[in-house]
Amino acid sequence: MGAIDRSRLLKDVLWLLAFAGAVAIAFRLWFGLGPTTNLSDAVPWGLWKILNMVAGVALSTGGFTVGFLVYVLSRERFRPLVKPAILVAFLGYGSSVFALMLDIGLPHRIWHPIFMWNERSFLFEVAWCVMLYFTVTIIELSPTLLDRLRLRGVSRFLHRIAFWVVIVGISLSSLHHSSLGSLFLVTPERLHPLWFTPRLPWLFILSAMGAGLMVVVLAKLLYAGLYDPASVFGPTALPRRRGVCAVAEEPSARPRGPDLPMLRQLSSVAAGVLGVYLVVKLVDLWATGAVDALTAWTWESYLYVGETVTLAIVPIVLVAVPRARRSLVGLGAAASAAAIGLVWNRVDVGIFGYFRDAGVAYVPSLAEWALSLGVIAAAGLVFLYASEYLPIFDQIWRQRESVRGRFVSVFDRTSGVWSPILAAGLYRTTLIAVLAVPLAWVALYPPYHPRAQTDAVAPPLALDVARTSLKVDGDRNALGVTFPHADHQRRLGAKDSCVNCHHLALPNDHATPCSRCHRGMERPTDLFDHAAHFERVAVKDHLRDANDACVRCHEPGRPKTARTAKACLECHRADMRPTREPSGGHGLATAMAYRAALHRTCIGCHRARAEEAGRPKLGDCSHCHEQGVSAVLRARAAGVTERSPTLAVGAAGGAGL
Amino acid sequence: MFAILVDVTKCTGCERCVEACRLRAVEGVPPDLARTGEPLSADRRCAIEPVAANRWARKSCLHCLEPACVAACLVGGLTKTPEGPVIYDQDKCIGCRYCMLACPHHVPRYEWDRRLPFVVKCDMCWERLGQGRVPACVEACPHEALRFGDRRELLAAAHDLIARAPRRYLPRVWGEHEWGGTCVLYLSDVDLGVLDFPDAGAPPIPALTDPMIEKTPFVGAGVAVGLWALGAIIARRNAVMAAGGRVTGPDGIARLRDEAGQEEEGPDGRD
Repeated sequence: MGAIDRSRLLKDVLWLLAFAGAVAIAFRLWFGLGPTTNLSDAVPWGLWKILNMVAGVALSTGGFTVGFLVYVLSRERFRPLVKPAILVAFLGYGSSVFALMLDIGLPHRIWHPIFMWNERSFLFEVAWCVMLYFTVTIIELSPTLLDRLRLRGVSRFLHRIAFWVVIVGISLSSLHHSSLGSLFLVTPERLHPLWFTPRLPWLFILSAMGAGLMVVVLAKLLYAGLYDPASVFGPTALPRRRGVCAVAEEPSARPRGPDLPMLRQLSSVAAGVLGVYLVVKLVDLWATGAVDALTAWTWESYLYVGETVTLAIVPIVLVAVPRARRSLVGLGAAASAAAIGLVWNRVDVGIFGYFRDAGVAYVPSLAEWALSLGVIAAAGLVFLYASEYLPIFDQIWRQRESVRGRFVSVFDRTSGVWSPILAAGLYRTTLIAVLAVPLAWVALYPPYHPRAQTDAVAPPLALDVARTSLKVDGDRNALGVTFPHADHQRRLGAKDSCVNCHHLALPNDHATPCSRCHRGMERPTDLFDHAAHFERVAVKDHLRDANDACVRCHEPGRPKTARTAKACLECHRADMRPTREPSGGHGLATAMAYRAALHRTCIGCHRARAEEAGRPKLGDCSHCHEQGVSAVLRARAAGVTERSPTLAVGAAGGAGL
Repeated sequence: MFAILVDVTKCTGCERCVEACRLRAVEGVPPDLARTGEPLSADRRCAIEPVAANRWARKSCLHCLEPACVAACLVGGLTKTPEGPVIYDQDKCIGCRYCMLACPHHVPRYEWDRRLPFVVKCDMCWERLGQGRVPACVEACPHEALRFGDRRELLAAAHDLIARAPRRYLPRVWGEHEWGGTCVLYLSDVDLGVLDFPDAGAPPIPALTDPMIEKTPFVGAGVAVGLWALGAIIARRNAVMAAGGRVTGPDGIARLRDEAGQEEEGPDGRD
């Protein structure tokens, strides 16, 4: 079993995730953000922005920190890590930009920031720096590819400008890594005080620099575990078990490969940066007065402590203790902890830190996870294949015994066949696709996942302002019929229709009686469908002579009018409900006449509190009833029913009521 | 600068403003007016929010004097007009939703259910203002709880009202100073913290971010120059140390830098 096969299982898993992610991408593009994500107006930024973009870019910091160590500080011992670091950066940025493109509502407008500028926006700065730095990583990475393609001339030119490219890359990085933290500075009230601080940019860049170096260590360990164990584990310590797990599960071996000291030194540098980060973070915690928020021991506090321990304390301790530093387990654990802690911190700031403000917990949907992990998996695949086919990790990769057989020929020109290994890989991948795509399709199909309605931004108090339906108890027998109030409002000309019923109410009426408008029972506009009643009664009672139906309701021998008919209640008692009975969530209430409203509700209060509130004394009858006529009725008689709005402020200024 | 003054003590929560707003704002599709009592959403730029028992307030974009959303939008899709309204240009928007995150009042809403969604927020009836008309909500309010006019005059009127009826109103005009001031002002007899108003002294959010972002180009350039200088100094030092003499020219430095790198091996490297 060659060393190369150790990557196969990992690749299979990554392909599986990538295909599921592809399905999620298709759904996101076809159905839109709403049906595929659990984002809402309360939580506008979710997994794709925070995990893929903010954390993904932060994890890729190694590209510029290793460049800084090698090109600026001339720490040549780290030179073998430059290319891996740049590859990690390229993939980190590439996958972030790709995920971001799917996250924004209008992906086809991703180019807008190039031409439409807002120099005041941190996001604008991040967009430009990420764009430029991504170009820088391409330039830095291209010699590797160009060498492989035998374009030496271009590659030599790129080598000559390498130092300047690195300088530009570092200065761009220092800008946008801090600006990713500044993004959250616009939310001083919304972000939880544990994480909100004016020093967020400093915390972001320091943590990203420290943990980014650890990611490079991790990438190197991963590569070594899969392809080149001798370089790190030494010739004898080659673990027999497959996969990366073997790296951390070999306590008895005392591995020493030629590359191990380099990794150890790099992790020491990383731990140093993380130490600075820890100090700044703790001082900041004290300076912003967030200690109170921490000692309140809400769930946020535990997240904060967990994040700090994982990101800073664990790696620092592991690197500081000589015994832990010398062991591969210790080194791997330190690097993993830093990487996990970095993601944890970014998720805390970008997602968990906003829960308190949103008042709702955001749980990413299945499709969000699939897309997020799918994009990461795709980046991982590119990492693996690039490590195999390009001279990324070692200049002399061609000479290595363990990998030689793999790379002799991808495509044999003379025979015109692809390498059997490649063909087998394609076959395997196709099989995974056939398995993964339908499964992901069924699991992620948005109509299967109806969007959960969040009450996050709903008003705290129940409100039936429109009074969609009311209980009307016309004959005061404590039984009411459902009166479609909103419907009447609409049909009577919504805006000023209230007066049509309420202001005409007679004494002791709650409102204008229905019969005032619904007079003739046989009219087609009437509520009472006479024809239907007639037919139904005739059919129900199997009457031979239809005329016999009349007397079922009307008194025999008298004129057939509404007055001589039975009361509705005599048949429809079951359809009526007690007026006071709460029902249906409509907030059923009795309608109130204008007179009753004024006299009972308004006057009562005015009498009690008009003086102190500065309101007119409605309690005095003469305030409205001049010469025995209500002011409203007089206004109505004069035809003044429409308010005329005015631009003039002064006119309304004196109105106290 | 135009503004709207909301008198919470007069609002009865009848939602006529919301209705008028929806009839104006929604194009083509007649809004479902029966749905009431809902918060701000993609088809509701203006909503009535209960702020206390028997107290309601119209909630919409507050048209801050120094809006966080305008500073945040990376493509400049949001603009603070000199007339007061903060307006949204949907031809620029890329849908990043940073304005939604930035808004301290949680106002902008997103059309989540559309395949190509946009941000939705009140624009103070920008085109009606152009026709010399007042915003639809103000025109619709039957209780004179909404008043439209010049911001300074409205503030003066508000303070006048407070002075004349000190028991009726709390002595504070919400929106006068918060976040640097807003173009929607509130008079109330209950506290309006429910509407995400901070303490009166809260500074405008761009005041926090603008000074930092103004430094950005200089920081970038400074870092680049500093790195160049640092790189040159270290390369030279290494070269001098390695050769024991003065070496000039980029090729010589690079060569010697490589040599220095090979020789340099930390104490850690030997264990």
